[in-house]
Parts: sequence; structure tokens; C-alpha cells
Amino acid sequence: MSVLESQKATVQVSPEVRAIHRRMLRRQRLSRALTYLIAIVLSLWVLIPILFIASMALTTPAVVRSYPKGVLPFIPFSTETLRFFLNSRGIVPGIMNSIIVAVITLVLATVISAPAGYAISRYIFRGRDVFRLSILAVRAFPIVVLSIPLAVVFLRLNIYDNVFSLAMMHAALALPTTILVLSSVFASIPYELEEAAQVFGCSPAQAFRYIVLPLVLPGIAAAAIFTFVLSWNEVFAASILAPLHNRTLPVQVLITLDESSEPYQFAGGFFMLIPSLIFIFFIRRYLFNMWGQITK
Amino acid sequence: MSNRVSGKRRKKRNWAPYLLILPSLIYLALFFAWPMVQSLILAVREGGALLTLRAEAQRDSAVAGRIPRGTQISILDQQGNLIAAEELEQANLITEVWYQIRGQEPGGQEIEGWAPAERIRVREQGEDGTPIAGSVRPRLVGGADPFTQVHAEADEDSEVVGELEARAPVEILDQTTLEVWYLVGAEIEEQAVEGWVQSRYVQVFGDGSQGRVNQGDTSQYTTRYIQQMLNNRFFTPALRTTLLLIVIIIPVQFVLAIIMALVIQANPKGSSLFLYIYTIALGVSDLAVGIVWYSVFTQFGYLNSILQRLGLIDSPITYLSATRQHWIIIAIWLAEVWRATAIVMVIVVAGMQSISREVLEAAEVFGATLWQRIRYIILPLLRPSLQVALILRTILAFQVFAVVVVLSGGDVVTVLANETYRQYYDLRNVNVAASYASFILLLSILTAIFYLRAVRTQEEVAGS
Repeated sequence: MSVLESQKATVQVSPEVRAIHRRMLRRQRLSRALTYLIAIVLSLWVLIPILFIASMALTTPAVVRSYPKGVLPFIPFSTETLRFFLNSRGIVPGIMNSIIVAVITLVLATVISAPAGYAISRYIFRGRDVFRLSILAVRAFPIVVLSIPLAVVFLRLNIYDNVFSLAMMHAALALPTTILVLSSVFASIPYELEEAAQVFGCSPAQAFRYIVLPLVLPGIAAAAIFTFVLSWNEVFAASILAPLHNRTLPVQVLITLDESSEPYQFAGGFFMLIPSLIFIFFIRRYLFNMWGQITK
Repeated sequence: MSNRVSGKRRKKRNWAPYLLILPSLIYLALFFAWPMVQSLILAVREGGALLTLRAEAQRDSAVAGRIPRGTQISILDQQGNLIAAEELEQANLITEVWYQIRGQEPGGQEIEGWAPAERIRVREQGEDGTPIAGSVRPRLVGGADPFTQVHAEADEDSEVVGELEARAPVEILDQTTLEVWYLVGAEIEEQAVEGWVQSRYVQVFGDGSQGRVNQGDTSQYTTRYIQQMLNNRFFTPALRTTLLLIVIIIPVQFVLAIIMALVIQANPKGSSLFLYIYTIALGVSDLAVGIVWYSVFTQFGYLNSILQRLGLIDSPITYLSATRQHWIIIAIWLAEVWRATAIVMVIVVAGMQSISREVLEAAEVFGATLWQRIRYIILPLLRPSLQVALILRTILAFQVFAVVVVLSGGDVVTVLANETYRQYYDLRNVNVAASYASFILLLSILTAIFYLRAVRTQEEVAGS
């Protein structure tokens, strides 16, 4: 604005020019408003269904069954529905199994994929591109349907319906993603830092331990969280590989879906949704890292 | 960084990277490549389809022929054969027990040998239930030889060492279990075949002279499972719905994702909050999404509540019923768009970050409208990202499962992944389930090849 005013002082601005300028300003403001409008509409599109399910889960079962429902959320607020869900048969063991499977998956996937991610980001070696491409291919392929043959094999090996074998399958599902995320995390740490450490007398292992590791830990944590969420959410492979005595939470909900009441279902849906709401917040930065790298 | 790294390589051949990727290679081979092959094998290979007939009642004797499972057979003879202890677990075994006995012949001479357990009545047992002593059973059938023969070995064909009178007391020294082998005859393609088989493969009925092959010992390739899949009444609807969903979901997702990415790129205040909101669905399980949208579309759900409060309807409509399949499709469509737009958006935003701001500003300076900028600058530069997103989304769309199960109950509207699950879990038909799985794999491979080809030819055309 000040530039405009100084111009006004020196140059006689014709009213037409000023009109054009005003129009441009108005258009800019309009497009800004439009951007906000679209942004907010899209946000509502994402948030309103979550609000619906949350207000169903956080009220009394009587309200859940009432009709027509109030569109305003949480009226009246109560944890009764959620408690009813958590006290239902098989839910607490299901949650325990889900957590056990997810933690094993997380450890397994991180331990296996961290070296591979490091190798991709730090070395150029024959077959590197083939390796990366095949990982991408695996990422894209429907590995979930491979649970059928795995079920047959697990039955033969007597490790069917078992949290460990399910976690192994989930780790395989997560592996491509974690490798790619971790390679981008390692790539974001300049190699000079490692080199400098070695110049000052560190062994390569020490340089990794004291320089690289502290810097990549947040990234590794992000990948681990991603793996956790993936395993927590996964229902197809889980319902094929462990459908009897070691059901995870989603499997328990899925299998009892037909005979369960709406308060149970809604509370279950909301409960499964919570971890992803929290975790995605922490790892959102790394999601973009990963896909930016892939499309290059 | 790359020149430094290549400098590292020039020093010497470095094995470190191979060691580092080795665990993941092994893991992917075990849990990806190998099951994929197994899935194909399960789909086309029938285990135990054929039963091998042996020339003699020996497992290593010459092959006399093979007959398929289910063949009617006549049983011509039978004989007991020693069986290994670990094989006793096997189902459908027909066994004979023989006792090693010691007793006195009518002449007063002591003899020792083997007799079938059915000829001996056990009179005394040890603490663990093993028979210690007994007596020879009398033969009830008139005209039969009143004596019971004692054999040198637990085999009816072996040498007879002596004969015992009915009711003669015997000591039982040992026992052994034999598996019965049958000499069977059958007609295969108007040719009579004959040979020995183990009882575990055969079901005997009637007076013991007729039977049926229950289970084979050799597998063979078959198209039976694939035919079963193709003839299943749910196959065509499942395939049709899966493809329909892909066609109606993916374009909407891409439009939405690009709009979201443009909003983020316009960088309004609070854009990081918007970004977080748009990515929320990325981490939500498909089962939870199904339930979320179920709460909207169920009979006493939100949609009806809102419509009723607005006075648009008088009584709740049941959307998710067999007579309103289009509503189920709409619900699945909304749920999938809601859930899976986030991944496309993330890929598109990542791709947009690599478009230089100068190019866009230059276009703006030269008077390009928003639409022109999208059409002629952003979309062409985004093509690699869009390609990846398209491949990924399409292949993932072949696997929609929980959303469909929740919203349709899994029967009214069904998809390929749900049929795989149904064949495995409800019908216990692993082979047909593997056929479905292999079919999904095949579709995915074809899709990937199709997209890669399509984009490459476009580039070649543009390049020439």
C-alpha cells in the first residue's frame, strides 16, 4: 500500500488505473476467500463423519438407539456406550492381541528394514535400482491376498491362529513402506556428518551410533508408528490367519458384527479410529517425505 | 551426495550394502514371492487327486495303476501290514492287532507265535492296560476248523508254527498293530485295473466287498477350482461390483485430491492444520470407516435423522437393504472416497512441491487463468506422481473388503476380496479361495502393466 501511496505522490494516477487496481485487489481477496471456503468445506467433509461416530460412541446407548438423532454432538455426554463396548466379550483380549501383534510387527519391520533403508540411501551398488523397484512393486501388490497360502503353510507348521505368525505377515505388509520411509530419513542426514566424525577418529560404527542414530531416531519412530497403525488396522489377513483364539480387535468386531447391537458397533468403530487420529498427527511430515521420494 | 558415494565405490567392491539388504530380501522372498507361487499352486493343483495301486501289498512295490478319488471299487482280498508308530495318528486307518502268544498244543508241546487279536480273549491285564494273559476263543461258525493257527510272524501268509485248541490258556508276550491293505479292483475308462492299497485311502461299505476311494496319495493339475470359482453365483457380481467401484471411485478421488493439494499449495493461514485434517483418513482402518458410514446410512442413522428433522421424509428409509442395492453402492462409494482420497492427496502434494514456483508465477504474470495453469502446467508436471497414485489406488481398490462387509452384510453387494474371505472362512474351501486370490493378483499385474504402457506410449508420442 505504501508503494502505491508514494507512487500517487509522484505520478498522477488516472482513475482508470486505480479502478483496475481496486478490481485486482478485490479479486485477490475473493480468491483468498474462495480458497478458505473450499478448504473449510473439504475439512468438514473429513471431520463431520468422525464427529458423528464420536458423538455416537460418547453418549448413552439409549441416545444411540433414539430417532431422529440430534445432529449436535455429545448430547448428553457419557462414556456408557464405550464402556459397554469395552466390557463386551472378547474385546479386551482383542485389544491385547492387537497391541501384541502391532508391537511385534513394529519391532520386526524396523529391525529388518533399517539396514536396507540405510543401504539404499548411503551406497550405490549394482542392483540398487532393481531392489528399489521391486520394493515398490511389492508395496503396490495385494499382499493381503497372500494370506490364503500362508494360512495353509501355517496350519502345516502348526503356527496357525497365533499372534507371532500374524505379526510376521503384518511385518511383511509393512516392510516395503518402512524401507522407503527409512531410506528417505537416512538420506536427509548429510553424509558429511558421518565423514567428519570419522575424520575425528570415530569408527564407522561409532559414527553411526553417535552421529546418525540420534538424528534419525524421530524418523525411525515415525516409521514405527506407521507400522503400528498399519497392523492395528489390518483386518483381512488377521481374520484369515488368526480367526479363532487369537483374534485381534478388528477381527473380533468383524466376526461379531452380525449379531451385535448398534451401540457396540459404533463404539467399536470409534475405538479403532482413535490411535490413527493421534498417530497420524505425529508422523504427517514423514508421509510427504516418503511419497516425494517415490515419485522421483 | 552421489559423487561422494561413487567415490566410495571406486575404492573397492563393497559387500556392506548387500549384507544390509539381505534380511529384507529374504523376508520378502519368504512372505511375498513364495506365497504368491503357493497361491497359484493351490489354485490349480488338487492334492490327493489320484490313488496309486501297488502290485503287491508293499509301499515300494511296482505301480499297478492310478485311480481318481471317488472311484467305486470292489474289494477282492485283504492283508495286514506292519505300520510305523507315528503313522497311527492317520485318519481313516483300518487296523488289525496281532498278539505274540505262548501256549500248549493239544499234544502238550509248548509253542510260541503270532495270532490275530480277534482270536484271543484277554483275561488279565497289566497296570497300564497291556494284556498279559488270555485264552483262545472258540470258533462259533459250524464246520470251521476248530483249531486256531499260530503263525511265525504277524502275517497270515507266514509259516504256521502250530495250532491251539479252543479255550486253551495263553500268555500274551507282545502285540503289534497292522494296517489293513486291500486288493481292489476298479474299472477306469472301461479298463479293469487291480492292485493293493492302504486302508487309509479307502472307505468300505456294504458287506465289505464294495468301497470307494476317499483320498488319493498323488496330486495332479486341475482346472476344477478355477471352474468352481467362475461358476460360483457370486463371482460375476463380485467382479462387476469391484470394477464398478474402481470406475466411480477413482476419478472422484483424483479430482478431490488435486483440489486439496491446490488449496494446500495456495498456502492459506492454517494450511498445516488443513493438511493434517486431510491426512487423517490415511490412518483409519477400513473396518472403522465402514462403521462410520454405517452410522450415517443405517435405518435410524444420521441421514434419515437429518432428512426427518428437515421435514423431507415422514418415516425412516432403509437404505442398506437388498432391494436398494444402489444405495449400498452409494454408501460404499462415499466411504471409499472418504477413506482413500488421503493417500492420493499425499502423493499429489509431494509431487506439487517439486513444481517450481517461478513457473507458476510466470504463467500467472502472462495472464493464464487458474484453469489454464492447472491444465497446461500443473497436470503435465504431476504426471509421474499421478501415475504412481493411479497404479496404487487401482490395485488397492481390488482389495476393498471391510467397508463392503459392513455396509452390505457381505451378501447383497459383494467384491472379490470378500469372496476370497467367504470361500476360506465360511466355506472352508482353501483351493477356491486361492483361485480368487490368484485372480486378484493377476488383475493387479495386468493393471500395473496397462498403466505403465499407457503412460510410456504417451511419452513416446510426445517425444517424437
